[in-house]
Amino acid sequence: MPEKNASEKFDLSIDLAGLKLKNPLITASGTCGNGKELDNYFDINKLGAFTLKGITVSPRKGNKSPRIAETPSGIINSIGLENPGIDQFIKKTIPEIAEYRLPFFCNISGYSEAEFLELAEKLCGRKEIAGVEVNLSCPNIEGGGLAFGTDPKTVYSITKKVRKIYDKLLIVKLTPNITDITEIAEAAESGGADCVSMINTISAMKIDIDKQKPLLGSLTGGLSGPAIRPAAVKMVYDTFKKINIPIIGIGGIRNGKDVIEFMLAGASAAGIGTINMIEADAALRIIGEIKDYLKKHNIKRLSSLIGKVHI
Amino acid sequence: MFEILKNKEVGPDIFYLVLKCDELSEQPKPGQFFNVKISRKLSTDPLLRRPFSVFDFDEDQNILELVYRKVGRGTEILSKYKAGEKLDVIGPLGNPFSTEKRSGLIHLVGGGMGIVPLHYLARTLEKGEKKVFLGAENSDELEFFTKRFKKMNVEIHRAAMTEKMEIKGSVLVLWMNYLDQEKPLFVYTCGPEKMLSAVEKECLKSSIQGQLSIERRMGCGIGVCLSCSCETTEGNKRSCVDGPVFTLGEVVLNA
Ligand SMILES: Cc1cc2nc3c(=O)[nH]c(=O)nc-3n(C[C@H](O)[C@H](O)[C@H](O)COP(=O)(O)OP(=O)(O)OC[C@H]3O[C@@H](n4cnc5c(N)ncnc54)[C@H](O)[C@@H]3O)c2cc1C
Ligand SMILES: Cc1cc2nc3c(=O)[nH]c(=O)nc-3n(C[C@H](O)[C@H](O)[C@H](O)COP(=O)(O)O)c2cc1C
Ligand code: FES
Repeated sequence: MPEKNASEKFDLSIDLAGLKLKNPLITASGTCGNGKELDNYFDINKLGAFTLKGITVSPRKGNKSPRIAETPSGIINSIGLENPGIDQFIKKTIPEIAEYRLPFFCNISGYSEAEFLELAEKLCGRKEIAGVEVNLSCPNIEGGGLAFGTDPKTVYSITKKVRKIYDKLLIVKLTPNITDITEIAEAAESGGADCVSMINTISAMKIDIDKQKPLLGSLTGGLSGPAIRPAAVKMVYDTFKKINIPIIGIGGIRNGKDVIEFMLAGASAAGIGTINMIEADAALRIIGEIKDYLKKHNIKRLSSLIGKVHI
Repeated sequence: MFEILKNKEVGPDIFYLVLKCDELSEQPKPGQFFNVKISRKLSTDPLLRRPFSVFDFDEDQNILELVYRKVGRGTEILSKYKAGEKLDVIGPLGNPFSTEKRSGLIHLVGGGMGIVPLHYLARTLEKGEKKVFLGAENSDELEFFTKRFKKMNVEIHRAAMTEKMEIKGSVLVLWMNYLDQEKPLFVYTCGPEKMLSAVEKECLKSSIQGQLSIERRMGCGIGVCLSCSCETTEGNKRSCVDGPVFTLGEVVLNA
């Protein structure tokens, strides 16, 4: 297993806009619970950082079941942001994560600009939280129902306002369901984001051909898993050329080679999502595989690979 | 990794999978399930694991028995695995049936593959009067289960949709015939959600306590993804870790 290559001559540490991570692996929101579930399977302190399940201002019951469908090397989910709401989150989840020794990011979702601000305000000054990840994939109810992350002006405005009240790491999470994701990344950067994470799930659906009906309870959902990786890599590659803040690359990562691919394309860190659902302790294996790669290519510092294909 | 000792067809598209599992963290309890990775080592297709209930477990030899029906791509691929090959399996997972001692008549009502967890349950329950009601499409589907239940001290009643066994029709109708004459102390049930809902309704009407096991589509099986959420009297719960076994009346069923 991974530890056999654990010789300290490899430096896996990453600088994420001033926050030092011991390695580039960050769990992706919604695929990893809130810490204790995965901690049953491995010591989560070994991760670079942990992104908590998305939270909203009010509690949400989530979507009708079925909420998950399987597709070739992928899954489509429509969880619908089921969560207990920010107040319950602060009361219950924050004390639970206090026992771990790694940076936690809070993934926040609003249905209006005001909700994003309320969430950021309530998380401000919480020492257990190292950063906030603004999820721009939710529909902007007041603004016509399209996802916030599809309009550069809205993204700029939300980022700027959250930036004013939130002083720790501010991550903006980008939706791929748009013509040019780099414009949104630029808007987040101009608004004052410390980094962007990309990508969220790709809009998708599956039809049950026997019942001749959409399979998911909410008809459509978001595709994740290995199936989306090549698309995500390309978006990271394009975005790296346009912005100067770090990118957290997410989308279908299964192993160390996939992490290296994202980093070469321009990612500073790697979000692991769907793989956690299949192999709870995948992160440990992936860390070992990254070391194997460094050894094979005689590379000492992992961060030297960031954006290397652009040179 | 668990070695496959047996993986053979024991009924129409029904397979009996026996695994040698030496590194179990704890002994499985009735109602718990195992999550099986169908794809081979480096492959990610099919991506998700498949959940299967414990049919039986031999604690002396660490032998786990599962029974599954070939219904789709995953179980089709699983049915091609041969004895001697290894499977990546995690478990036991989930909240088990309560097996506390009860002095009184117990009913177990199973429809289709919902019969599977009731077998290990019946074997684990302490002595006492037990009746098991089994239902399926036809008698062939019940043959293997019947053989195994006959090894235990339980009274067996069977119904099939397409031919006359004790009755021709659903196990629900068969069970209700008995419910007219006797009042069990506790009822355990597993099967299609419509059936669960009907069993639950009858029990609640007659103030009979019991438990059901539900089958919701799962992503992770370990409580991280909320794919399996179900609405309950105490808010949403995850059927993979808070269930699949729930108290009658607790879950809002899709009838
Ligand atoms: C807790 C639990 C215990 C189960 N125990 C048994 C058992 O002992 N024996 C048995 O034959 N079956 C059991 N099932 C159902 C079994 O998991 C499915 O039949 C199986 O996953 C189908 O896989 P597939 O690839 O062949 O079908 P596909 O339809 O191709 O599967 C596609 C996706 O849907 C899911 N899915 C399909 N049918 C079901 C279903 N009925 N319930 C849940 N998910 C489903 C699959 O897991 C997969 O993710 C159980 C399900 C649950 C939730
Ligand atoms: C079940 C599930 C739930 C998710 N929930 C959230 C969420 O609450 N907030 C969010 O920003 N992204 C959410 N995502 C998206 C993931 O964080 C990630 O961006 C995406 O799945 C792509 O990565 P992957 O292919 O490694 O899974 C969710 C994904 C899945 C599969
Ligand atoms: S299947 Fe993922 S939480 Fe239950």
